[in-house]
Parts: sequence; structure tokens; C-alpha cells
Amino acid sequence: MKNCLRTLRAERGWSQADLAQKLGVSRQSVNAIETGRFDPSLPLAFKLSKLFELPIEAIFSE
Amino acid sequence: MPFCNKNLTPLQRRSMQRMGSVLLLTVLTNLTNPHFPNVFFDLFPGLLRFLSSHQDAHNGLSSALLVGSLSAISLLPVLLGVWVAANYLKAEPDEFIRALVIRALLWGFAVTMAGDAIVGVLMTYYSRPFPISLLNADLFFASTGIAFRLVQRSYR
Repeated sequence: MKNCLRTLRAERGWSQADLAQKLGVSRQSVNAIETGRFDPSLPLAFKLSKLFELPIEAIFSE
Repeated sequence: MPFCNKNLTPLQRRSMQRMGSVLLLTVLTNLTNPHFPNVFFDLFPGLLRFLSSHQDAHNGLSSALLVGSLSAISLLPVLLGVWVAANYLKAEPDEFIRALVIRALLWGFAVTMAGDAIVGVLMTYYSRPFPISLLNADLFFASTGIAFRLVQRSYR
């Protein structure tokens, strides 16, 4: 699954550690999701959606 | 990096300490053969004499009750280990770390089972028992630890 997490994060000037802290996960998790090597669960996808104020399908795509 | 001492969350630290205690308990409850080193035998020489007096040179322990009791004691660290791992996985909020730990645990099980198979062949070949419970615990903890590092590295 592809995502535009890195772009969204950069637009807000957040580091991976900042985003990880906001989500309550490790920085490694954010890195793995950003690089597309780990697909987040639905609860985490909803957290991202809420945090970026965007629908899930705007962040993730097939 | 997660699972570096300074970066451990309280849950991870507590779980690792509990796993350490389980490993120690594995060593302490290895009473299956009086010839294997055990701190309990040094602390309680009577225990060693008792086990030795009930051990037949060819048929092992002669008392069924004793065999049952020793089996139950050696089961304790295994059950506790599963309990610690299950509790950790249930409480770990980071799903990525949880996935890494599960993969590492599976590798740990795989290596332990492979080790058991090898030890089984060696025991048959040399016709003598090995301290298999100690070997299992050592193999499992070491291989799980190494597997975790390797799995973690694959995501860098």
C-alpha cells in the first residue's frame, strides 16, 4: 500500500519522532509505514486520518 | 532504537526483567538429572541425596510420584514464559514492535525445535542424556534476541 505520509509530515514540519509521539508509537513504526514496508492497522490509520484531518483514502492508496 | 536499554518503555523493561527471572527459574528447576549442575543441589544437599537414592541406573527415577512432581516443576518456567510473552504482546501499544516481536518469537521457536531435533539425534547416537531443558531455554532466548535484531535491521 502506498501513502503520502512523508509529504504530509514534511508540510507540517514534523520529524518522524514528532509524528511518532503524536500517534503513541515508535519512530521505527513511522519510518516503516512511510517507506511502505509496514501497513498500519485500521485504528492507527484512523489516528493518522484524524491527526492530518484528511480521509484515510487521501493518505493511503493501493 | 527500541529494545536498547536507554529507550525501553516501562512495559518492555518490566517484561524483559520477568523473562530474565523465567530464565533463572529454568536453571533452578532443572532437577531432572542429579548429574547436571543446579544451585538447589548446593543449597540443599539433601535434595540431591533424595533424588539420587530414587534413581535407578537403567530406568531413571523409580517413584512415579517423584517423576510427576519433577515434571510439574519443570513445566513452571515454560508456562510463566508464555504468560510473560502473552501479557507483553497484549499490552504493547505499538503494533509495529508487536509484529517484530512475534516474528522474532516464531524464529526462536523454529531454532529451538531444530535444536531439539539435533540434540535428539546426538542423544541417540551417544546414548547419554543432555541437559535439554537448559539447552532449550538458552537456545530460545538467544535465537529470539538475535532474530529480533535481524528483523529490526531488515526494516532500516
